Amino acid sequence: MGRVIVVTSGKGGVGKTTSTANLGTALALLGKTVVIVDADVGLRNLDIVMGLESRIVYTSMDVIDKHCELSKALVRDRRVDGLTLLAASQKNNKDDIQPAQMKAICDKLRSTHDFVLVDSPAGIERGFSNASAGADEAIVVTTPDVSAIRDADRIIGLIQHARIEPINLVINRFSPELVGNGSMMDQADVMDILNIDLLGIVPEDTGVITSTNRGIPLVYEETSAAAHAYMRIARRLTGQQIPIPDLEQKGLFTSILNWFTRKS
Amino acid sequence: MANSIVALRAYRDGLHLIIKPHLSITEIEKAIQEEISRMNRPLNGASIQIDLKAPALQEEDMAYLRSKLKDTYNLTVREFMVVSEEPTPPPIAAAPTTHIITPAVNPPNSRESEPSRIIPYTIRSGQTEDFPQGSLIIYGDVNSGAEVRAGGDIVVLGALRGNAHAGMNGRLSSVIIAMNLVPMQLQISNYLNRIAIGEKSRGYPEIARIGKEDVIIVERFVKF
Repeated sequence: MGRVIVVTSGKGGVGKTTSTANLGTALALLGKTVVIVDADVGLRNLDIVMGLESRIVYTSMDVIDKHCELSKALVRDRRVDGLTLLAASQKNNKDDIQPAQMKAICDKLRSTHDFVLVDSPAGIERGFSNASAGADEAIVVTTPDVSAIRDADRIIGLIQHARIEPINLVINRFSPELVGNGSMMDQADVMDILNIDLLGIVPEDTGVITSTNRGIPLVYEETSAAAHAYMRIARRLTGQQIPIPDLEQKGLFTSILNWFTRKS
Repeated sequence: MANSIVALRAYRDGLHLIIKPHLSITEIEKAIQEEISRMNRPLNGASIQIDLKAPALQEEDMAYLRSKLKDTYNLTVREFMVVSEEPTPPPIAAAPTTHIITPAVNPPNSRESEPSRIIPYTIRSGQTEDFPQGSLIIYGDVNSGAEVRAGGDIVVLGALRGNAHAGMNGRLSSVIIAMNLVPMQLQISNYLNRIAIGEKSRGYPEIARIGKEDVIIVERFVKF
């Protein structure tokens, strides 16, 4: 029986879709069977980030409307074994789907996959209740800024209310330099407020923009710091004990290193 | 800082300028100037009522004050009232940090006789806890965007980052205690206090209550 994990944040633009795409790909690279589900009906993006937009024929709406079998709507990612995408309909809106219908889809997918990652839309309305309807676990993505954290806090409250457990936190777009000079909240501040288990920290990486535009998730590239972070998070999801590296200290180290390399 | 001759107070029906009796018009004028210069926000264009503690001023002094206030501060005097005591409604705002809030309704309770309720978890953004019957004790944090309201005291055995309203039934002796008091807004009875943005945690427990000057004061909590 696979695990259904909803990836959510409350606030938009903190990296839910990027995280879903990278964690899904990373889990597949680790040999798991994964389906990533776009629950952002009407504003779908996951297909673009995955580079699969041209291959979508059926969406979850077609499955619900019984236009096709669920297995036919799954788009297989040819770059890695065991990774498929269930796209959202771009023509409909979130109210066209009921939470129970989403749950039914997730329950079916669970029987054939190790991991079902559901990419939740921003907000706390129907889109969120649809995305979380079939989930048994949640990953809350936040950036270390006050507005994202307040929204994450709100969504954690709603997830707890829905009795979804465990809830794990991913701190995205973490910038050791900004923390170093005091203009960004550090890990301890974030954990103090949100007070849930930390699954990982993804450093700020401009490579995310190019990877999104090219439709190639970062985890395919060995060189990126964010890719390494996502790989580590994926390993933790599979139950491996991987320590969370202290990015704040590494930040100081790399800034000293940068200072030396600039001099020479 | 309190001005002993005149006092500017905000009541439910608007601003009142309270003037103590037996004073010459020049003394009053000087005191008004001091009182108004103490405000960090201009009162430009406001309308005020002047409460005179008996005996009343001379007719020409009243006319002089009316024109003086209009010319110097652009304040319109609604009326002159002779009052024997402090007006009956409790002040709802006294300092620039306080705002006018809904009036108190129920009679205040005593701390010993009322029940209290324990919340054994953190209250997150968007969540509220109301307990008008008595005091709230929270074994967690009250996060930014969350709201707690109690008829009596509020004790947070964690960080208070959201909004807290103690004494919601009007009990002025209600207090708010937190291990880490960094709220958005504090309200006790119908007094409200906004904490300066960006204020950092002091690292010790604090207590908020209504002080002598009719404002919410926050100080280090040593014992009750």
